[in-house]
Amino acid sequence: MRSKNLQSESINTGSMADIAFLLLIFFLVSTTILQEKGLILRLPPEVKNPTSVEVKDRNVYNIRINSRNQYLIEKDLRQNLVGLREELQTFVLNDTGSAEWAESPEKAVVSIKADRGTDYKTFIAVLDEVKAAYYEIYGKRVGVTGAEFRLLDLSDPEQRALYDKGRAGIPMNISIAEPDAANS
Amino acid sequence: MQPTVKPKENDMKKIKTKTRSKAEISTASLPDIVFLLLFFFMVTATIRTVDDQVEVTQPQAEAISKVDQKTLIRELAVGPPKDALVGSEARIYSEGKWIKMEDIAQWVMEQKQTLPESQRDQMIVMLRADEYVKMGMVADIQTELRKADARKILYRTRQQGGQ
Repeated sequence: MRSKNLQSESINTGSMADIAFLLLIFFLVSTTILQEKGLILRLPPEVKNPTSVEVKDRNVYNIRINSRNQYLIEKDLRQNLVGLREELQTFVLNDTGSAEWAESPEKAVVSIKADRGTDYKTFIAVLDEVKAAYYEIYGKRVGVTGAEFRLLDLSDPEQRALYDKGRAGIPMNISIAEPDAANS
Repeated sequence: MQPTVKPKENDMKKIKTKTRSKAEISTASLPDIVFLLLFFFMVTATIRTVDDQVEVTQPQAEAISKVDQKTLIRELAVGPPKDALVGSEARIYSEGKWIKMEDIAQWVMEQKQTLPESQRDQMIVMLRADEYVKMGMVADIQTELRKADARKILYRTRQQGGQ
């Protein structure tokens, strides 16, 4: 008698789980988890009277893209970006002290200039390569790969120190010039 | 001897009744677990309030970085409209509104108002543009953003090889 009484007192919660699952599935379907991943860049401030600053030609790595999505990299016409990353690294670091490459990593500038008719995709591909090249340089200095360097958690002081050490003295100088008008 | 035997019998009885009532596994905690999951999803996810009116296929990239402060991000979608009536030219869209090129400065001002004062200069504009948008348009947007002093820009991309 007693045990029967106890059982009738407890409410059956089996359907509760079903309801909760239903709600859960509804949320899974109707929502998106925001993923803010991409190439981050800081645009230069707007200046009213631009003054031109002479930058030595050897310190600038020129990448031009035309409206047919072809690349002109340091005066060479190219169809793809194979090997660009390695070239950028030799250009920026210039370990051999060549007169052709940048005087010092600090002074090196990578200039990307697109045409108005260039596809966004092509531009992103170039920007990606340039950023990847820099991250690999940073990574190499602290003994990690470029991908690992990007994943460093800046809120952790130990990793922050590693990050600062990697970046010290090598600013990521990427210049994005205003595109020319089409067919120029 | 006698006193020890009697309690034993009693114990046996007790155990028997206990096992009887536990014949069914209690599922009372299951809803709690599922609700916990539900709350987790509600907090981490955002409801897609308005469907994008532009078709965007993001380009792929490898050297991408993640932005931690989600609250600082404001989004601009650029691409050809889904609705053919609007035209086939690429246009700018944000949170249910079409934005004209000359209105970007205004838009930036409005978005900055929604941020706390100390964070206004840290606003990040996430540009979610279609692969085949022309650079001329992107450059125009950048010029407008520079004018409006919203200089942190995030080119939203897909992970290479991934989704």
